[in-house]
Amino acid sequence: MVAYIEAKNVNLIFTPPNRMPVTALKDFNISVGEGEFVSIVGPSGCGKSTFLNVLLGLIPPHSGEMAINGKRVSGPGQDRAMVFQEFGLLPWRTVLNNVELGLELKGVATSERRPVSQKFIEMVGLAGFEGHYPHELSGGMKQRVGLARALATDPDVLLMDEPFAALDAQTRDIMQAELLRIWQEAKKTVLFVTHQIEEAVYLSDRVIVMTKRPGRAKKIIDIPLPRPRDYEMRVTQEFNDLKLQLWNELKDELTVHGNG
Amino acid sequence: MNDTTSTAVSPVPASAAPVRDEGLGEITRRTFWEANERHALGIGFIVFVLLLWEVIPHILTLSRGMDLFFTTPTQVAMTLYNMFASGEIWPAFKFSAVAFSVGLGLSIVAALPLGVIIGRSHTMNAMLDPFITAFNATPRLVFLPIILVWFGIGMWSVVVVVFIGAVFPLLINTYAGVRNADRLLINVVRSFGASEWQINKLVILPNSMPFIIAGLRLAIGRAILGIVVAEFFGGSSEGIGVMMNDAAGKFQVDIVFAGLVIFMALSLVMVGGVKVLEARLSRWRPENVKSF
Ligand SMILES: Nc1ncnc2c1ncn2[C@@H]1O[C@H](COP(=O)(O)OP(=O)(O)OP(=O)(O)O)[C@@H](O)[C@H]1O
Ligand SMILES: [Mg+2]
Repeated sequence: MVAYIEAKNVNLIFTPPNRMPVTALKDFNISVGEGEFVSIVGPSGCGKSTFLNVLLGLIPPHSGEMAINGKRVSGPGQDRAMVFQEFGLLPWRTVLNNVELGLELKGVATSERRPVSQKFIEMVGLAGFEGHYPHELSGGMKQRVGLARALATDPDVLLMDEPFAALDAQTRDIMQAELLRIWQEAKKTVLFVTHQIEEAVYLSDRVIVMTKRPGRAKKIIDIPLPRPRDYEMRVTQEFNDLKLQLWNELKDELTVHGNG
Repeated sequence: MNDTTSTAVSPVPASAAPVRDEGLGEITRRTFWEANERHALGIGFIVFVLLLWEVIPHILTLSRGMDLFFTTPTQVAMTLYNMFASGEIWPAFKFSAVAFSVGLGLSIVAALPLGVIIGRSHTMNAMLDPFITAFNATPRLVFLPIILVWFGIGMWSVVVVVFIGAVFPLLINTYAGVRNADRLLINVVRSFGASEWQINKLVILPNSMPFIIAGLRLAIGRAILGIVVAEFFGGSSEGIGVMMNDAAGKFQVDIVFAGLVIFMALSLVMVGGVKVLEARLSRWRPENVKSF
């Protein structure tokens, strides 16, 4: 496998004013192939969002190399788009205008971006809410706006930070299926952070298990399930074995503690 | 807001929004009195005071000579009408209006970009904040003599006084609002490739709008104060303030009050304008929707 996304010995330390420095990432290494769907699981606070932010180009790492398609990441770029964990919708923009944000910043003309945004609004099931403001939406609806916004820019690399965490079980199933469809059709590379083991197994080619903070990639688990995957697959023995394997890797990291 | 009812995402029909059943067997909005109580009381009291003011001189007989110092609302209204009808007030009115608009306009044009710069740069903020705070805390009248020396008696001095009155509250509020900007939203637009200028336009300015509006409200008050102060204290030889000052010297009390009414009207119009602006700019705000 040729590395498309490559992180080599990435270190990142937060130094908040008047507070103890926090090492969020320590010697973080991963390598993801083009068109791969890779999930990242790990305990809360282990540095998953931080890693995505570094990859997105929002936070420069203190040391180490981060590269996409052989090019060092030195800032944000329109080859990537993120679905943010806290949604990050502009509260003064309607659903439609929020979804259009990325296209607008790409310089796409209004007449061209309308149909694209409309398509993704419909895809995430928000048709009829185009004129609503974020505060008029439920948490799950806001999250889907964030999803539509990222998809609308048609990025090569899709970074997804617990994108379905606020969704109800049924909507989550629908969104998972849509995501797989888009990923397969458009040949995107997806990095997907989740706390749900089942979701990670169902969607991914590989799952990266992170240690507790400071976060490192502890173990990479291959998911050799055939594609396209369907809902029934979740009740197979193979699926459940993979879930168990993943759970065993993860549970050692999941002590409730205050590790400094 | 006509789409308020559609916030109900549940299968409850939109008409089940919280409006009160008055026992009429149908869902009604608030009664006329409930909806207008505040306005009615406010306006009613003003009318009451004016009436009282009007009748008192008719009931009490003032000792001779004293009536020189007093006037009634009708007299003031007549004077005001005559001054506008005859056109004698226009030059003074125009002078003050132009000085006010130019001074306030310049302060907005200067304060917004400067506020964004100071709000976003730690260095600029550390450098300029003490200076601005000190300047803002100093009564503007102190600067009048030196302004007169530099700009001479006339329009420019008044404009400058208005400007230095209005610019600081607007500047301070703008950079307070800018510093308050949501880091997450800045990161979001940056991640989609926004330039610094686009970050300002898409996040910083809308995010600080409530602060800017509050600053604008203060600035308008300071600008009006600036006109009055500058014209009262020899900043110019024209303007409504000068007219009032001259009239007071000649015991033309109704003209003094006419000037006062003009300034009051100016404040009311400006504050009303800001309210309209605020309502337009904050359509997206939750409070706006909740308080139908
Ligand atoms: N801006 C920041 N300033 C200081 N510390 C931060 C900052 N952002 C994150 N951290 C710290 O870095 C660590 C990793 O945070 P991160 O958000 O990456 O965790 P996470 O793995 O995404 O957790 P979760 O699953 O709960 O979302 C945490 O200990 C957090 O306190
Ligand atoms: Mg996170």
